[in-house]
Amino acid sequence: MEQNETLAFDALSDRVRRRILAALGEHGELSVGEIAGRIDAVGRTTVSSHLRVLRTSGLVRERRDGRNRFYSLDTDGAVRDAFVFLQSILRQGITDAAAAAGESSGGVQETG
Amino acid sequence: MDTTTVAVEQTVALAPEALFALFGAGRAAGWLFGARCDDVHVGAPVSLRLPLDRDGRQDVEVLGRLARVVPGVALDIEHTQPWRGRIGLRLAPAGAGRTRVRLRAEVPTGGLEWLLHRRGIPLPEPPDDGSLRLGAITNASGPGAVYSLSAELMAELAVAEINADGGIAGSPVRLVTADDGTDARQAAAEAVRMARLGCHAVFVNSTSASFEAVRRALAGRDVLVVHSVLNEGGGVSPTAVRFGERPRAQLEALVGPTMATTGSRRWFLVGEDYVWSHGVHAAARHVIARAGGRVVGESLTPLGTADFARVIERITASGSELVLSSLIGADEVAFERQSEAAGLRETVRTVSLVLEESTLAHIGERAGQGLRTALAYFQDGPLAGNDDLVRRYRSAYGAWAPAITALSETIYESIHRYARVRHLDAAGGAASHGRALMRRRTGAADVIGTRDLVAPTLYVAEAVGGRLRVVGEAP
Repeated sequence: MEQNETLAFDALSDRVRRRILAALGEHGELSVGEIAGRIDAVGRTTVSSHLRVLRTSGLVRERRDGRNRFYSLDTDGAVRDAFVFLQSILRQGITDAAAAAGESSGGVQETG
Repeated sequence: MDTTTVAVEQTVALAPEALFALFGAGRAAGWLFGARCDDVHVGAPVSLRLPLDRDGRQDVEVLGRLARVVPGVALDIEHTQPWRGRIGLRLAPAGAGRTRVRLRAEVPTGGLEWLLHRRGIPLPEPPDDGSLRLGAITNASGPGAVYSLSAELMAELAVAEINADGGIAGSPVRLVTADDGTDARQAAAEAVRMARLGCHAVFVNSTSASFEAVRRALAGRDVLVVHSVLNEGGGVSPTAVRFGERPRAQLEALVGPTMATTGSRRWFLVGEDYVWSHGVHAAARHVIARAGGRVVGESLTPLGTADFARVIERITASGSELVLSSLIGADEVAFERQSEAAGLRETVRTVSLVLEESTLAHIGERAGQGLRTALAYFQDGPLAGNDDLVRRYRSAYGAWAPAITALSETIYESIHRYARVRHLDAAGGAASHGRALMRRRTGAADVIGTRDLVAPTLYVAEAVGGRLRVVGEAP
């Protein structure tokens, strides 16, 4: 889970990847060439490598039709990612509680 | 609406009662996302900071109220920002001096969509169902989230009432909402999406910077843009109109009377460095001079400022007796809390232009005491029809829903007025609807649902015991 979390974080940290997601959101399913055509100054090879990252982190789905490959948003994957993300935030909240407890009991030891 | 629950659990080396006592208080306020809650009791305002990225630049505030408090055992937060949901905390003894802490977040579909959107995932586009679409851009995150707590709820209430009444010219209305994060570029992007989805009008319950960005982004698209919160005026066109209080009228209602009651003349102006406060300060210099006062200092800080120590030092050093604040949202909360903590209330009287019920709630009862403002609507105000409005709102959203404010009541009124205009002129374009919206009915009574939004009647209110008490109507 930690691994996937990191992957999704990285997948979304890149501007080109976010633009690919936006294009897929707007048009549904697109080929690599169509995606490259909608994003200025980025070639097919670059788009392909970004798509690979998005696919590995579960945000994009691939469909093969003969020699062509088409890409679309993996909504289930994105939702899963959002919940994993939220869970990691909540876990941090509880870690805060542990830290507060540590400080507090540490204070007691000092004065005691 | 579907709700999903996310939960985590951990054991902590402190007894439940002791751990509970640390919540929202004092130096250990780091516990549970830096919770700020002055007084832990049911109904108390609470804010948390969720870290949305690793370096803390994208922290987002969760703003809500305590809906349940069982000391040492349970705490529930019902929140409206950045999405509507509930966060539950459960503490159970786990051996001597240890507590099992369980933290649970209930996330409805809207919350999930907010999270996905913030993470760069495009939202699904609703299929055309023959409804007439209207857009509402509010601040669910960013510095403006504090004053925007009830904006989306009030926009939804207006649409629900219009639909219960048969829709607009026979079509049901569907509201498309978006959070601009109190950021003008995001507002423009959301407005373009709304236009693509076929929204006929976009109501901007956000900053003047966001309104201007939306106006530019939608120019020439036959989409009406309505700024539905108080603003400094200007920047209108046939397809972009602005409703709500104007600083000039607010200042006329506040400056002279405050000088008369305090016998003070020396003003310090505290604002944000963008078009809103620039407009306020220009008007203030004029109104203050005419009332026989003097401006002895001014500060303009960037929107999103959290530390006002330097500004407060300058106010003290200037020998000012009166402060005019046009700070908004989280900035206003920080400034007023820090002013009170620095002892400024003993020497200085403050009036504030964007001080509605939600902002005051987060400033807190003690730091807010004695602040004055002038707005067209107060939840405890005297307007005819208000009791009914509050009842409808509470029955739709529950007892812990945030207060109706001048800002959220204005988007409610704006949507109703647009529906009436469009009902009579279904075939008209945005410009014709815009002109009709700005037409004033002379001699109309100040009644909920048909308020004068172009030059609203103002009421002066003072913060007493954490509430805004209306002390008079502006002349």
